[in-house]
This record gives sequence, C-alpha cells and structure tokens, in this order.
Amino acid sequence: MDTNLIKAHINLFAVLQNLEDLVKLDDQSAQMARTWDLSIQFSVMGGPSAHVIFKDGACTHGIGKYAAASIKLLFTSPAHLNAMFDGKGTPIPLKGFSKLGFLSRDFAKLTGRLSYFLRPEEAKNPSDDYSRISTVLLFHTAFFAVGELVQLDTVSRKVVACIPDGTLQVEILPDGPAVFLDFHDGKARVAKGYTDKPIAVMSFRDFGVANVLLTGQLDGFLGLAEGKVMIRGLIPFISNVNLILDRVKAFLS
Amino acid sequence: MKTYEYDQSAAWFQRAAKVIPCGVYGHFSPAPCVPITHYPFYTARAEGSKFWDVDGNEFIDYMCAYGPMILGYRNPIVDEAFQAQLKVADTSSTASPVMVELAEFMVDLIPVADWAFFAKNGADITNYAVTVARAATGRRKVIAVADEYHGSSPWMQEAGHHGVMDADHVDVIRVPWNDATALEQAFARHEGQVAAFIATPYHTPVFTDNALPAEGYWAQAEAVVRKNGAVLIVDDVRCGFRIDMGGSNEYFGFKPDLICFCKTIANGYPISALVGTDALRTDCAKVFHTGSFWFAAGCMAAALACMKEMKRIDAPKLTMEKGQKLVDGLVDIAKGHGYNLKVTGAPSMPYLRTTDDESLMFHQKLCGESTRRGAFFSSHHNWFLSCAHTDHDIQRTWDIFEDAFKAVLR
Repeated sequence: MDTNLIKAHINLFAVLQNLEDLVKLDDQSAQMARTWDLSIQFSVMGGPSAHVIFKDGACTHGIGKYAAASIKLLFTSPAHLNAMFDGKGTPIPLKGFSKLGFLSRDFAKLTGRLSYFLRPEEAKNPSDDYSRISTVLLFHTAFFAVGELVQLDTVSRKVVACIPDGTLQVEILPDGPAVFLDFHDGKARVAKGYTDKPIAVMSFRDFGVANVLLTGQLDGFLGLAEGKVMIRGLIPFISNVNLILDRVKAFLS
Repeated sequence: MKTYEYDQSAAWFQRAAKVIPCGVYGHFSPAPCVPITHYPFYTARAEGSKFWDVDGNEFIDYMCAYGPMILGYRNPIVDEAFQAQLKVADTSSTASPVMVELAEFMVDLIPVADWAFFAKNGADITNYAVTVARAATGRRKVIAVADEYHGSSPWMQEAGHHGVMDADHVDVIRVPWNDATALEQAFARHEGQVAAFIATPYHTPVFTDNALPAEGYWAQAEAVVRKNGAVLIVDDVRCGFRIDMGGSNEYFGFKPDLICFCKTIANGYPISALVGTDALRTDCAKVFHTGSFWFAAGCMAAALACMKEMKRIDAPKLTMEKGQKLVDGLVDIAKGHGYNLKVTGAPSMPYLRTTDDESLMFHQKLCGESTRRGAFFSSHHNWFLSCAHTDHDIQRTWDIFEDAFKAVLR
C-alpha cells in the first residue's frame, strides 16, 4: 500500500479528530473556536474524505464528505494532503472563497495549537495542563491510527489476521480517557469511551505513564513489570495490537 | 491463607531494568503473568518440586522451569554426574568420550534414532533439523502448523514482530493442526518445493486449549510427507520424555525422520539433541552447525544420568499419573464452586482453562491468587509435572486452589 495514502488516512481520521478534544480541553483553542459557525470538508481526489463542523464552541469530526460544508478543500493526491498537514502545502478551495482568510489565519492558529500538543518533544518546560492535554491527544491519535493501519498497512494486516474477533479496551486510569478497538473479520472499529464486554483490557496507571509510553520514553514490557501498565484477558490480542501501535510512528508527520 | 508479598522481587527488577533490556526477557518475561502483582520474578533457591523466591516465599512449581525440571530440582543423581564430569573436564579442546556414551544411550533408547547430534537449546536443533532437511532434499520450503512454536528464530516468528522481515517467512507455509487434507493441499500447491513438515507431537499453543492428534491424523500426515519425498521432523522439545521414553511419536504411533529434544533431557542442564534415521546421517554430517559450548561434557554427563534415571523410574508414566491426579482434584474443586475447569493436552503437561469466561480474566485471577498462596500456576501456558511432585504437594495444591477460588469469588 502507498505510504502517502496511509499517512493521508491517519491525518484525516486519527489526527484531525483531535480538534474535537482540543476545543474542549485547551482554553486558548476554546476561545478561538467559541464563535465559529462553519464546517470544513477535506477531500483527496480518488482518496479519503473527512470534515469538521464548528458550532456553539464545539467541534465535531466526521468521516466522508459533508454536502453542507461551508468550506470545501480539494487535494489532488494523498501527498498533497499530507504536505498541508506538514505545513508545506496549500489546498485547492472548491467552496468558501470568502473564508480563505479564516483558513489561513484563524484555522491555521487552531491547527498550530494542535501541532503544539502533538509534538511534546518540542515543548519547553511543559506544564501539567500541557502534559495532560498532550497525552489525551496522543492517546487518541495512536489508537485511531491503529484502526487505519489495520485496513491499509500490509504488515498490520498480517498481524491482525492473528487477532480473533473481539474488543480491546484501552484506558488511562483512574477516570479515562478510554478507547475501544472492536475487531471483526480483520477490520477494526475504533471509538472513544468504554465497552461492556472487552476480551482484553490494557490500562495505564495514570496520565504520566500514558505520556511516557506514547512518547516512547518507557518500554511497554518494563511498564508491565513495574505495574505501571496493567493488562488482562487475551494477552496475544494486546500483544498484536501493540505490534501495530509500534508501526504508527512511522506514518505520523 | 497467607498471601505473598514480592518486595525483593520488585527491588531486583528495578536493578535489572537499568542494565538488562526490559528487565527479564523472553519466556521468563513477567508480561503474561496476570495480575503481575501476584507473581515472583526471581528465584533464590530450588529443591525437589519447589522453589523459593528472593522474598523467601515457597512455591510448589507447576512450570518446572518451563519444562526442563523433570526429576526435581537439584536431583542428586544428575547433579553428581555433572559434578564428577566437571572434576575431570568440561569445555576443552576436543570432544569428550561421554558424548559417545550419551549418543549410544539415545540410539538404544529411541526406536527412530540411528544417530544423535548435540547442541544447547531447542532452537539450535529445530534450525539444524530444517537445514538438514533442505540439504537432503535440495528444496527450500518448510510446512509448519499454525500457532506452533519452534524457537524464536525469525523464520518461526509471526509477521510484524520486531526485526522479522517478510523475507523470513517466504519459505514457511502454515497449515492448521489436525488437518491432513490441508497438509496434502499445501504440498500440492508447492509441489517439489517442500523440504520438510515440522510439527510438535500434539498441539501446544499458549492461551488456547491444547489438542491431541485426531484419530488417524499422524498416519495420514506421515503418508503425505512420504508421498511427497519430504522429511518429517518432530519437535519434541516440550513434550519429550513426558509422554514416552522412546519419543512422543511412539505414543502416537508414527515414525518421523528427525526428532528434536531439549528441555527434560538433562533435568535443567543446558543441552539439546537431534536424533535421526540412517537415511539422513550423511546429510547431517555435511551440514556445518556448531556452537562454543556444544561440546561441554558436564551437561552430557548430566543428560546421560538423567535419561537413565527417567528410564529406570518410567518418568512419563509417573508424571502422567501425578498430573491426572492433580487435575482431577482441581476440576472437582472448580465444579464445587459451579465452574468448569477444562483440561487439555497430556496429563503430564496439562493446559487448564476456566471455560466460564472466554476472555480468560477469571482464570487469570484464579491462577494469580493460587500463585500468591504458593502454587505456581501459569494462566497462559501448559503446566509441567515432575517426578518430584508428591501426594503431599498435590493435596497442598488442592487446598491452595480451594482458598484461591474463595478469594476470587469473594
């Protein structure tokens, strides 16, 4: 599978969805989006599409095109979309020409804020608030990206072939966030929140543990042995998902 | 019943984490021990059927070092043979006569064996067996059973594991266990390309029920392999001498070309062996395969003493009987609490699972609570019985299991 296509899927479905949490958790972002009442569609020619809707201070991320979008952006290829996410490319506006200023000024500030939280290695003297928000966003990015790799990455598809049908719950203790990955017929549906009957559970003791794991500062095996990460249920299920999780970094900008 | 604490294990692990990647690696990794707080990481001493961890906690050991311990830890017969050999020569500049004696003993003991070759670990031998098969047939592909383990070499690891390349799997074909038709179809798809079929005598995956061969499976599988001019390799590393002193294939009624032995053959001293038929003797001689310590005579003396003792006391029969007694009692205890404890595999190395919870979470709690009361149970891997387990050990284990069940249900 084309690496750029995988990256495009991850950008649209794992990275972009973080705007939902960003405007909830980060005061600056919330302030920026407080009065926005518009929607943006991102579509790649012959490729994936997604959209975000801003209304009443909240953001909703959706998969696919959004007919009523106030701004429609076209990308000629997955590489074109990825370039924009890397801050190096400009989309082709199909609708919302009057809002180009909004895109280049206001929306760019919001996505800049997102990048700030998704690149904790560049943060100087991060505050507790920063670390907490960064961890939530990294957590969601990582597991939503797993869902994309399961569909598109050749190696991940081989790994997922070894996973039985069932649901893996992943959570940061004590109160979340949490995601669950529902595997069925070699496909994965990823959603935020809790599921009733997981066949395996992976719990991070707290935000600090989740942060060092997600930023590659703690080895998972060490985390387990030290009681910082707890697992139960069908452990091979968790091992295999972790193999896919380890591949995510290669596809993130 | 008192439950154990593991402060010293944790302290040693903290030290280890600084100087050893992931602290404890491989199959001794604490990762599959769930919940991890209920398991020890480090052993201070071991004797007979028991070991004591660095916190001084005593365990009746049903993992037996993941198989090697068959006669009991620090068995005096094996240990004395080892020590006696050390006093005269261990690793030196030529081979030792005890190597010849060991090979002679194995050739006499194992009906299939016309020769024996020695190494250190199971993977040394499974890799060698496959190389010999390739040399003998001039073919490159190997058929193996899905989810079977033949060591940690990249060609035997699943796709996606770190450091494993797609190229490592190009010549490995996986077929389902107990499916001779699938085996025949795999041979047909790769006609004239398959060097060997490698399999364990029965199916011993982790986290999953173990499965004995179906009626007629091995006869059919052997016929398919013969028809296609390939080599039949039995990986008896895990089962060897816990089922039959002549090799597990004797118990299941078939004749492989090569048999890989390791774990039990020296009661814990590091040595493995490949035995084979005359037809492969020359090919075996031509394949270069060696290691720095493969000629260490102490382990060979230990292996010779261990195999003689296993034969004298009929270790497979003994461990089968002890295992059957143990699991019958455990099943009854579970039933008394309204739960179904399913036992699969040979009684000398049973795999147990509480079927009431497919996620294994209940069973993990049960094994964890048993372990921290003194019965070292794995929830993901088959257990191992030894000749050193006593009736008293088994009774004590039942008491622990009963208490663990109450704790989990409380």
